Amino acid sequence: MEAFQQSYSSKTLIWPKSRSWALAGVVGSGNLEVLIEPNPASPEEVAYSVETSIPDFKDSWLAALNDFASHYAIGGSKITIHDQGAAPVVIKMRLRQALDLLVSNTQ
Amino acid sequence: MNTSDLLQQFFGASASRLTITDKLLTGYASVDGAEVCVLGTVDGTYINDSGALHLAAQVIDCVKTRPGIPIVMLVDSAGQEPNRTAEMLGLPVYFGHLLTCLEVARQSGHKLVTVATGKAIAGAFICYGMFADAIYALDSASVGLMPVEAMSAVTKIPVATLEELSKSLPALEFGAAPFALLGGVKEVWPVDAGLESKLSAAIAEATTEDTRAQLGKERGGRPQAYDVQQRVLAESAR
Amino acid sequence: MSQTPYHELKARERIAAIADAGSFNEIIPPPERVMSMYLPKLGIPVAFDDGLAIGSATIGGKRVYLAAQAGQFVGGSVGEVHSAKLVGLLKAAARDKIPCVLLIESGGVRLHEGSSGEIGIAEAIRAIFACRSVGATTIAVIGSDIGAYGGMGILSACCDCRIMTEHGRLGISGPIVIEKWMGKEAYDSSDRALVWKTSGGKTRYILGDVETLVNDSTSAVKQGIISVLTKSAKPDLPLAETQQAKLQARLDQFGKMTDPDEIWMASGVTDVTTATLDEAEDFIKAFTRKTS
Repeated sequence: MEAFQQSYSSKTLIWPKSRSWALAGVVGSGNLEVLIEPNPASPEEVAYSVETSIPDFKDSWLAALNDFASHYAIGGSKITIHDQGAAPVVIKMRLRQALDLLVSNTQ
Repeated sequence: MNTSDLLQQFFGASASRLTITDKLLTGYASVDGAEVCVLGTVDGTYINDSGALHLAAQVIDCVKTRPGIPIVMLVDSAGQEPNRTAEMLGLPVYFGHLLTCLEVARQSGHKLVTVATGKAIAGAFICYGMFADAIYALDSASVGLMPVEAMSAVTKIPVATLEELSKSLPALEFGAAPFALLGGVKEVWPVDAGLESKLSAAIAEATTEDTRAQLGKERGGRPQAYDVQQRVLAESAR
Repeated sequence: MSQTPYHELKARERIAAIADAGSFNEIIPPPERVMSMYLPKLGIPVAFDDGLAIGSATIGGKRVYLAAQAGQFVGGSVGEVHSAKLVGLLKAAARDKIPCVLLIESGGVRLHEGSSGEIGIAEAIRAIFACRSVGATTIAVIGSDIGAYGGMGILSACCDCRIMTEHGRLGISGPIVIEKWMGKEAYDSSDRALVWKTSGGKTRYILGDVETLVNDSTSAVKQGIISVLTKSAKPDLPLAETQQAKLQARLDQFGKMTDPDEIWMASGVTDVTTATLDEAEDFIKAFTRKTS
């Protein structure tokens, strides 16, 4: 297992009134779960926390996480990830899904 | 200790009234002079659909003919033998039926007390023994989910790792003593004289409240279970 | 999402599809981080909800407690936290006298947590009967490929009702275990048709273990749940005796058969080929159980 934290600047996320968190994905082989929660103390940053069962891919992770932070407004949030070997495309998909779930109007 | 000696330890001379058919134990005996119904398994046998029906029939007979007497369940079973036909015929439903019969007995006022005397492994234990009001084990009993070698084979975690971890996580250790730390059994009894009076006291003290999670917390074997259960109850009440 | 087959959905998607819109209130949600203390020590990733999402909801306007297992997380297996959430939920249902609906997808006890999950399942079974004794209907929905096995199979059999789709399987020993024990000749675990004919929803329905067999859609599953919400069956002597006779008759009639198709035909299926391919709804229409 490998664990690391990293923050990146990001445009501030307008937190929806109806939700205080969103979860996407499931921990399973080749998959991950992503939890997004408020972090109002740092409105211009997203704080990532990653736990992964596949070590030695930190650089690849950080690139993906930084990329997501630069393309989407997620400042003022913290994102926690439990990963079991997801490919970068799946990581991006789950991050996007978590954000969609957060801001969408459906449950 | 062989089966016959063991039954004498619990039931004295009245043990001779019990029947063993295909390693399934049924009948009526007495504990410290009070009549009890007895059912269970011996010699580490497998329990399957017809076995479950055989034991269920004893429970039904007890409810019909012996109002309010305690039911003593002895467990010495290796579990279910993996079998395609048994699965096809619905083995889980046979086990569910045995449990339902035991619940009928409970609701009709019969106390349910279990003693694990030999093998008490996973499904063999869950399908009747672990349903009792109070559960005990002899210190020689093989109680638990599965021996560490089997756990290692399935999870691919080395035996040495599991053994090391079991020092701080008794849930991973196989045996009556760690099972008691988890609250799974109330007490572990040494196999010596006095089993009949211990059983008699166990019957007297038994209540329908399931206190295993609390025990597991007090003894440290299951530090999370009780608090999580209580938290769910509290949050759902709001 | 209403078009996606039930068996392809994940646990939280099933909850979203089955609970009335916006009605699900999760108890101990993921941000609470009530997780397994065993898995990190074994170098295995944890899940925020330990593979079980629980909460209150309404289904068809009726208040229920609702739980869904995530089969992808350690095979949907039941560890200490997972089972404690389940026990707490069932106890709440008994306390409040409202139904408890379990969306099951589990291989049974989580081996990685040893006997803690085993004792937890035994506690859950006690709690199911506590529900049944006060008329709080307990409903096991088994509609995923992983099915309900081991201790979760036993637990499902203890509920008031089982709802299955043809994708669901209910058993104790899984196909791989049986193949290892009996040999490939006796049971080829890679023969999907045989596996599903052995433990799948249609066979369970034919034999009467499942009262409600529905199509593999969330709307059909939801309708099935609504149809049984008030069908609590308090265990009593007449019920026990009826079931004893029924289960004995089953062994007497089918105990020597080895081919599931034999059982199907002896039970009243006239066209096995069509019945095998039919969706649940059509299957049920064509099937009249033979009473011998």
